[in-house]
Amino acid sequence: MKLNPTQVFLLVAAAIVILAAGPFFLPPFYVRVGQLMLYAAGLGLAWGILGGFAGYASFGHAAFIGVGAFTAGLVEDKFSSLPALLLLPLGLLAGAACCAVLAALIAYPILRLRGTFFAIAMLGVSHVCAELTNNIDFFQGSMGLNFPPIAPAGMDPADFFYEIYLVAALFILLVSWQIRRSRFGAGLLSIREDEDTARMLGVPTERYKRLAFVVSAVLTGVMGVIFAHSLGYITTESVYRDDTNLSLIVYSLLGGMGTLFGPVIGAFLLVFITQVILGRLLDFHLFATGLLLVILVLSAPGGIAGLLKKRKRTAT
Amino acid sequence: MNLIAQTLADGLVLGGIYALAAVGFSLIFGVLHVINLSHGVLVLMGAYLALIFSEALHIDPLLCIPPVMAVLFCVGYAYQRFLIQHAVDRASLNSMLLTFGVALMLQNAMIWVFSPDMRSITPSYAFTSFKLGPVNLDAVRLSALAASLILLSCLAALLRFSPLGRVIRATAQQTMAARLCGVNVRHVYALTFAVSAAFAGAAGIVIGIILPFSPNDEGGWTLNAFVVVVLGGVGSPAGALIGGLLLGLVSTLTAQYIGPAFPNVTMFLLLVLLLLVRPNGLLGNAFAPSR
Repeated sequence: MKLNPTQVFLLVAAAIVILAAGPFFLPPFYVRVGQLMLYAAGLGLAWGILGGFAGYASFGHAAFIGVGAFTAGLVEDKFSSLPALLLLPLGLLAGAACCAVLAALIAYPILRLRGTFFAIAMLGVSHVCAELTNNIDFFQGSMGLNFPPIAPAGMDPADFFYEIYLVAALFILLVSWQIRRSRFGAGLLSIREDEDTARMLGVPTERYKRLAFVVSAVLTGVMGVIFAHSLGYITTESVYRDDTNLSLIVYSLLGGMGTLFGPVIGAFLLVFITQVILGRLLDFHLFATGLLLVILVLSAPGGIAGLLKKRKRTAT
Repeated sequence: MNLIAQTLADGLVLGGIYALAAVGFSLIFGVLHVINLSHGVLVLMGAYLALIFSEALHIDPLLCIPPVMAVLFCVGYAYQRFLIQHAVDRASLNSMLLTFGVALMLQNAMIWVFSPDMRSITPSYAFTSFKLGPVNLDAVRLSALAASLILLSCLAALLRFSPLGRVIRATAQQTMAARLCGVNVRHVYALTFAVSAAFAGAAGIVIGIILPFSPNDEGGWTLNAFVVVVLGGVGSPAGALIGGLLLGLVSTLTAQYIGPAFPNVTMFLLLVLLLLVRPNGLLGNAFAPSR
């Protein structure tokens, strides 16, 4: 089935309208689940720009969630006299800028590492950021930071943040789609397939990798700022989370590594499984995630997108 | 002066234990090229098994080392043969994620069985200590260090002189050539994993008598093992010993002179720095020469 551009456009527009209308007909619990799904999808997409397209799987992207959240919190604290509506854009700008600077600084040394070493070094970055935030009084990581309520009066904050998450996730999807179909994206894919050959053929691998790292970090930071606002109060533990570090990989793995929609499918599915199906079995949470991971690696290393592709290939 | 000597002594003791806890991880990394993220779980399994044995039989925890090693040897063999082997031939990230999944499951299982509380093993000589010049050494730490060094030497001898060691080294150097010479590579992989798991279990016992432990520590021990291996070099007990001692010294010195909250920060800075200037660790890859 091949769709022409008008049909695709209509389909996408319809999907967006249905998603945006979610809070008006869903019960509150599912609005909350929807928020988490969109948050997870946005993070998964941002991670995928580096981990999926370029094949540099990071084990420490929570570092950028934390850096974004804390920068935004500290900056908004300074400008707390501004109207509430200006605070979120200000925080987003500050958080994104700080993530960009941090990523650009560590990109040079850390991107010289490959594969597992890169993954673990990123985990190290995340832990170091978390410990510094926790132990240096200026960042108030152990005491916690408060965020001002920014939802407009008369609107349920849960619904408001649902829409914000939706906008952010769509924006990240757009960015990653544009990257995927650009020359830059093709360069990233070639780095994933064979970095040395790509370099030999004239792909500016170092520049592309660094750019992908910074873009991925900034988008992750943006999601972190929104997440912090929706929580209203953050500490080191609530943003620098090792289970986030892991989940980001699992989203892509579940949906399909390196595909555009893979992280979205994976994020929706995993959040649905853990929040709705396993919601009452908290003791079982870790075990189920682990089991899912084992089954995935053994039976479907290409994720759901990989399974679909395989079926299509065997059908033709 | 006293403080420096005491800090150095504590660092060396801790380092010896780090080395023992990392040597299995290093061996698996060197031979199978698998990052075993469930290593910390195996270490803790050793500690809990020793707790059970020593409480049930009323024997010294260090005497539990042989039975615990035997149990974990079998566990390790089966684990590699039935699970990890299926992921070994694929990309390296797959086997890493597989072991991570297993680690999550086992950690959760340990929380059910042993509760998430801190536990510790207390041998009868827990409160004896010696004075060596200005340095205070308690019997527990001293016996832990001795046990670590003895076990590390045993592993080094096993790899160097025994037929099994020869086969393991051959497989690590040239898998294909070893297979051509009649080595059953899958069996060797499983044996390597079994030996590594056994040493992880032994490390768990040694850790158990000097530090409290809980199921939530497993990630920390896995990370320590990774850092030790990157610092020292892959595959050899000597590399693990150097990396372990370095890590022990750095973390006690940082805790003493910079602040108790910062050992991890310095540890990771050191790690990244070393990865950049000497990617193969201080001693290099033990199995690399013929590659």
